[in-house]
Amino acid sequence: MSVILRQPAEALDLRMRTVWVVQGAITTAVLGLGVIVAVVVLVVADASTAAWIVGAAGAVAVIASAVVMVWLLPIHDHRYFRYEVTELGLYVARGWLWRRWQVVPHARIETVDIRSGPLLRAFGLVAVQVATAAAGGGTGIPGLDPSVADALVEELSRRAGVEEERA
Amino acid sequence: MSAARLEGRLHPLAVLVLARRMIGASLIPVLALLLSLGTRILVPLVLAVVLVGVPLAVAWWWRFTYRVSESRLEVRSGLINRTTRVVPLDRVRGVDLTAPFLHRLLGLVKVEIEAAAGGGDKAELSLAAVSRRDAEALRERLLSRTDAETIEEEAPTLYRATPGLLAVGGLTSGRYLLATAAVVGVLGNLADNLPGDVVARATDTVADRAPTNASGIVAAVVAAVLAVLLFAVAGSLLVDWGFVLRSEGERLTAERGLLTRRTVSIDLERIRGLDLRDTPLRRPFRLTSVHAVAGGVRRAGGRTTLVPVIRAEGVYALLRAVDPLAPDPAAPLAGHPKAARTRRFVRAVSLPALAAAIALALAAWPAAVLALLLTAGLAVIALDRYRQLGHRFDGRRLTVREGSLMRRWTELDPEEIVSFELRRTPTQRRAGLATLVLHLGEGAGERRVLDAGAEQTRALLAELDPRLLAPLVEPR
Repeated sequence: MSVILRQPAEALDLRMRTVWVVQGAITTAVLGLGVIVAVVVLVVADASTAAWIVGAAGAVAVIASAVVMVWLLPIHDHRYFRYEVTELGLYVARGWLWRRWQVVPHARIETVDIRSGPLLRAFGLVAVQVATAAAGGGTGIPGLDPSVADALVEELSRRAGVEEERA
Repeated sequence: MSAARLEGRLHPLAVLVLARRMIGASLIPVLALLLSLGTRILVPLVLAVVLVGVPLAVAWWWRFTYRVSESRLEVRSGLINRTTRVVPLDRVRGVDLTAPFLHRLLGLVKVEIEAAAGGGDKAELSLAAVSRRDAEALRERLLSRTDAETIEEEAPTLYRATPGLLAVGGLTSGRYLLATAAVVGVLGNLADNLPGDVVARATDTVADRAPTNASGIVAAVVAAVLAVLLFAVAGSLLVDWGFVLRSEGERLTAERGLLTRRTVSIDLERIRGLDLRDTPLRRPFRLTSVHAVAGGVRRAGGRTTLVPVIRAEGVYALLRAVDPLAPDPAAPLAGHPKAARTRRFVRAVSLPALAAAIALALAAWPAAVLALLLTAGLAVIALDRYRQLGHRFDGRRLTVREGSLMRRWTELDPEEIVSFELRRTPTQRRAGLATLVLHLGEGAGERRVLDAGAEQTRALLAELDPRLLAPLVEPR
């Protein structure tokens, strides 16, 4: 397995892993609830064979979802997500099986947003979103401590400015 | 040019164009409806339309004025709600002149002005009909930001299509060959709108006379094939008749069309690279088409088409005229590793092969034959897709090529790349491959170096941007 690009230096905040676990748990719970409702409806409708089938398939789906979304993905997504602000660009690597390495030159960054949804806020995190003129050319860092994010945004805008002056 | 007006109303004959537009965009269904109603209703209806539509058109014409001043274009319009739109001249991104059939009969041209709005969105202004001379003057004024210096010298022609070349181009173009299906579809739609049982009777007549003997069937098939070919030729000639590409200093201007004549222009500074596209049908004839990879340009209307069809011999000179650093399209590219062939093959063939296996297991013979044929066809395409893969960086321009049924050779300036993205699936990592995606931005899309070897990708990244990317490449 030949490596092409080196790993970026920085890791995500460890709290982000917990956020993903909670997200996965919520998704799994919603799925489980859906299965329970379907089984109850089928039982009430006196279709016991169908209820068994749906129940069994649903149970498998819920277990699979729990294993993947609550256990595997949060751990690996966190482990493989790395970023670094280099002299000339923002470098982000992500993905466990389908790996992506993205390099956005500072000079090409158009906007840098800091966002936080309710879940992120509950864990005291924010997300940084970087947009370019290309629809697929932007990137983002999903979970950072606000102080780290502020410093990052500060550095990105400073470097973008420097780069512009030089050009 | 002194008499050309840069302000005032649209051409008086524009009223006809406007009236037609108001009376109905789809005249044919209306006509069909009217025919089935009879004169008792028809006459008052036509009168009403004329009595309401024409005065409306006149009023609209009267209230529509435009003016080009020192630094901006102003358009005032609206019958009751008056609108004034002001576009600073340095915001004008493009001026298209289109002459649909009715316009051409009247010697008029429709002017569409594309402007970049503050947020990067596109704003558009349209002058429904002005005389051709006014339109040309307007276009010249709106586009020449350096004020009248560059004008008046005859713009050199980069390419001129001959009817013969266009005909061959139509015959070898997937789009025009498929156009027959579209035409049949439209006719079918129209037929639905015809009154009474005309269609049913026609179908019956055709069915009655359908040939049953072998020679009759062959004749029918030959006729159908000929019709398809004829449509392809006609389509190409209709759309691209008299295609001329001119270089006007800071921009390229293309003029085309038999019935509807369009003039579109594209700023050289918006061109990030050039595409050559061809199909397996065109490759034996050594024909190709040239397209601009451009940002901030509306896609519609083939405005990025620089040349609809051209012989391979002339391509290099044309590319050089647009981009002086363009590499020779005939130059060999670095191929990608054998593992890329396996990947193309597996991805193309596994699903149909599975379908074939299932069909065989179920003894569903016709389905099995179909699935096997599909598998074989896709396998051939996959192998060709691998053969076409390649890239090359000569220090100034990056060349990439991929595709089989629609092969695309692209040359672009690495300076124009907005962001770089390397992707590797589990299979690619096992096979030592990677896909490098180059995002170009502002609607120019992306180009990719598909399934290059890890070593190739490492070298390419380091060369493409030695300051940005080389420090990130893993040392050997």
